[in-house]
Amino acid sequence: MSADIPIKLSVNGEDRNIFVTPTRTLLETLREDLDLTGTKCGCNQGVCGSCTVFCDGLPIRACLALAVTMRGREIVTIEGAHPGDMLSVVQQAFVDAGAVQCGFCIPGMIVSATALLQETQTPSDHDIREALSGNLCRCTGYAKIVAAVSLAARRLNGTVGGAT
Amino acid sequence: MSAAFHEPTTIAEAVAILATEPDVCCLAGGQSLVAALNTRSFAAPTLVSLQRIEELRGLRRGADGSVTVGAMTTHRDVARADCFQAGQEIVPQAAAHIAHPAVRTMGTIGGSICHADPAADYPGVLAACGATVTLVNARGQRELAASDFFVDFLTTAVEPDEMVTAITFPPMPEGTRGIYEKFCRSEGDFATVSVALILGMHDGRCAFARVALGGCGPTPVRAPEAETRLIGSRLDDDDISSASNLLCSRAAPQSDVRGSAEYRLMLVPRLLVRALDRARRRP
Ligand SMILES: Cc1cc2nc3c(=O)[nH]c(=O)nc-3n(C[C@H](O)[C@H](O)[C@H](O)COP(=O)(O)OP(=O)(O)OC[C@H]3O[C@@H](n4cnc5c(N)ncnc54)[C@H](O)[C@@H]3O)c2cc1C
Repeated sequence: MSADIPIKLSVNGEDRNIFVTPTRTLLETLREDLDLTGTKCGCNQGVCGSCTVFCDGLPIRACLALAVTMRGREIVTIEGAHPGDMLSVVQQAFVDAGAVQCGFCIPGMIVSATALLQETQTPSDHDIREALSGNLCRCTGYAKIVAAVSLAARRLNGTVGGAT
Repeated sequence: MSAAFHEPTTIAEAVAILATEPDVCCLAGGQSLVAALNTRSFAAPTLVSLQRIEELRGLRRGADGSVTVGAMTTHRDVARADCFQAGQEIVPQAAAHIAHPAVRTMGTIGGSICHADPAADYPGVLAACGATVTLVNARGQRELAASDFFVDFLTTAVEPDEMVTAITFPPMPEGTRGIYEKFCRSEGDFATVSVALILGMHDGRCAFARVALGGCGPTPVRAPEAETRLIGSRLDDDDISSASNLLCSRAAPQSDVRGSAEYRLMLVPRLLVRALDRARRRP
């Protein structure tokens, strides 16, 4: 048996010191130790995408990352969206496009969509569908989700205006 | 109760831990291992994370044109690499088809081949390329051909005290093209069947051919006689269909949620035609 291991990581720009067991996932740590419940636990197998967060600027599955390996990493969750930043522009586009039904998958959708828009300024609908293929919406509201990401892309590259 | 955790920063430290700790297991990207731990269906082993071992990351092109990929190189980094040449471009092509962006951020080539899921994308590619896998333990190093590395369903030749450090893809003949043809139920799923093809043409005839199938048996399927059948031919319908038959007679697919064994065998000729068409179409 091993004692809990102390680790320090940055979550949404804030340094956090926590103790974790070796098999505790980042998802459990975010939701249960840090009360950041915006990141959802769907399948706990990496399939549904509801727990997608940023780690050092890239999307990862929080359920498949052990917290103990996250020492020194910078994690950004849906709670890390700040007015004006890309995450928040995407979030607002989801609201404006009416892309949110039950909402459970949406934090992961927004992170995956933001990751796409960091790399592709003018994604086609096909690009968007491919980038979100690892995020399941059980309300099956995909059409409006794709429209929301497309709207966010146009707002970000200035082809349409809109609140952020 | 939970097991211990180690986070070495060198290969030497890692193999020393593997040599001494009982019930110990490497943690690479965690995209298969943590998913398994999350089922809580077995006691967690002692974990040796390879994530902080910098010498296991990255790609290097050798003077002979071979490309050596560190075991901890992520699917994302392989997919974006530009050091692969003639024929070898099948490697980044396949990496780009593994799972979804968030899984490609963490998942690694070493983890994928050590997990050895027959429906995974890398095993067939290693087989078609004739890649070699470098294994290290506290006593030394050995190299295994892909055909000796993959032993059975989810089973490799890696000994409990060993770890994979790198995979080397040899150079392919000039002018060859590598094509990865993956058939899956939806984008990002494991393959129902995949075809890894490296093809060279000369004066309208096939001058070089390597084919491996994924999802068609416990390990990647190769059929030298199918390659021989293609080489020298003009790749007419007859040539392709007899090569497909030879490949299928070596395949032993299982029926599972992604398709029946019979369905998989029906896919083989269709995917081979697609791969050959893509390979012959100039880029
Ligand atoms: C939703 C989802 C979809 C996926 N889709 C696909 C797909 O379409 N195609 C595909 O090919 N894969 C797919 N995968 C699997 C993915 O590619 C994993 O990255 C891969 O199987 C394991 O790599 P890893 O680095 O995460 O290894 P880990 O999960 O960390 O390890 C896997 C196993 O290998 C051992 N191991 C790891 N590295 C070493 C080493 N260097 N030496 C010795 N042993 C080692 C570990 O002990 C463990 O037993 C998918 C995974 C998920 C979660």
